[in-house]
Amino acid sequence: MLKDSELLGGTTPVVAIALVLLPVVLPSAALATEILIFALAALACNLLLGYGGLLSFGQGIFFGAGAYLASLAMIHAGAGFLTALATAALSGTLIAAVVGALAIRRTGIYFVMMTLAFNQTAYFIAYTLDEWTGGENGLLDVPRPPLALFGATLADLGSPMSYYVFVAVVFLLIFVATKRVIASPFGSTLIAIRDNEARADAVGYNTKHFKIVAFAVSGAITALAGALYAMLLNFAPLENIQMSENIVILTVIGGTGSLLGSLLGAGSWVIISDMFAEVWPRWLIVMGGALILVVLFLRGGIWGGIESLAERISSKKGKPG
Amino acid sequence: MSAFILKVEKLCLSYSGFMAVDNVTFQVARNTIHSIIGPNGAGKTSLFHCLTGARRPTSGYVEFDGREITREPTHKRVSAGMARSFQITSLFQNLTVRENLRLASQGRDGDGALTFWRSAFARREHIEVADAVMERLGLTKRADAAAGGLPHGQQRILELGMALCGRPRLLLLDEPTAGMGVEDIPLMTRLIAELGKEYSVMLIEHNMGIVMSISDVITVMSQGGILVEGKPEVIRADARVREAYLGDAA
Repeated sequence: MLKDSELLGGTTPVVAIALVLLPVVLPSAALATEILIFALAALACNLLLGYGGLLSFGQGIFFGAGAYLASLAMIHAGAGFLTALATAALSGTLIAAVVGALAIRRTGIYFVMMTLAFNQTAYFIAYTLDEWTGGENGLLDVPRPPLALFGATLADLGSPMSYYVFVAVVFLLIFVATKRVIASPFGSTLIAIRDNEARADAVGYNTKHFKIVAFAVSGAITALAGALYAMLLNFAPLENIQMSENIVILTVIGGTGSLLGSLLGAGSWVIISDMFAEVWPRWLIVMGGALILVVLFLRGGIWGGIESLAERISSKKGKPG
Repeated sequence: MSAFILKVEKLCLSYSGFMAVDNVTFQVARNTIHSIIGPNGAGKTSLFHCLTGARRPTSGYVEFDGREITREPTHKRVSAGMARSFQITSLFQNLTVRENLRLASQGRDGDGALTFWRSAFARREHIEVADAVMERLGLTKRADAAAGGLPHGQQRILELGMALCGRPRLLLLDEPTAGMGVEDIPLMTRLIAELGKEYSVMLIEHNMGIVMSISDVITVMSQGGILVEGKPEVIRADARVREAYLGDAA
């Protein structure tokens, strides 16, 4: 159970240090940015899966929608940087609320199938609307306007490093905000619903409302990540929508039920893909193997493994003699 | 204010033709313990399901505290002041005892608990209710233990505590002593007897010792319907009840 004092303590300083180190350690700031974008998507997936017990294979819908709608707002409506991000977050909230509200009418495997079906539907809608989305070719020439507020330019985000700094700040804010969400009346109830939905219902919660809000929050963050991704690549590919499996896998590998785990999962995913993709096109086998290992032996994911290791070490130290 | 907290009229629940609850009519007086007994399959738990909103009755009428609730969902009944405990222990197994009770108390807020921008601990009253209930049930020492790790007897008591946290006006207890060890039963009996003075309690129970010692009114069910209703001494003396249920043991 999270305590208030942990909002800025606990894992938050660890994340802050990691954010500073990432661009130093990694070969490029763009790679570090990519890690944070996928960590945001994993964080949002974790909120549903790790805390709400909702396995959603529809996260790609929100990721793709965020990328497309932010891009279209900039290309066709001349939206600025922050307006484009707000457009993405808002539309992600709405789309996720609708998808969530329909999918949670079923539970268990049927719920999962519903999210998959919505994901396929979204894919073909995007494919068909090629005048807007560019279809198979993706939406090209996505700009990355400078960070401006009320007409005053605050920062030019053209360089990879300045863009990284912006994304890192966004990540830290969302990380802390998500911690707050989890330790809120809403978050604690969501955990209760995961643990025992019948009891949650019996003590007075309309569990459907909680699941829909969980989707809406998750959709907002995922769409924001999608928008940031489009601006990183200057491109919004159709494959964004098929990102659902990847998002779920890196969430599970990192560790469900731990927000820091999401950063670890995204980090290992992006770094391994960067290392292997050039030399070995079948690198996904590595991730498949990692997933199998985590599911079989490390149910808490990478973060769970680190936690139990730390516990073992401290309990050994604690023993007298 | 009516003298009765609960009125049930001609309630029926049919599972594809089988009448689990068959034309049941009764009333529960305020601040009394009203027990439902009957052999297995008599329809006691099905009746509870209709009263708590877990099942929608096929026909009939249920009035709680002067308001019709026949077709209202469970969560609305909770905010109106109805709380239940389960026959099979149903707790938040992975959460602590205190968090279980805090969540049960917070349940009274209903959709108010959708608040996601504030700390859950900002609402002190839920923690206070949880602490008070823990104290009363003698669970304070186990406050930070996971509910699933408690011995069975304490889980049953926590199960009762969950219902108490909703600050209900009517407590529906489905076999609170189910599976409890002999040594834990007196504590549970005393608790229920005490609760009967503060709340209206409806009790399903198989242990005749408990039912006869603490009930104000007993309704005997058989094959979905009501066989007879009355004070414990009347039930004990009733020939039909002895035949249908109590058997030679009575």
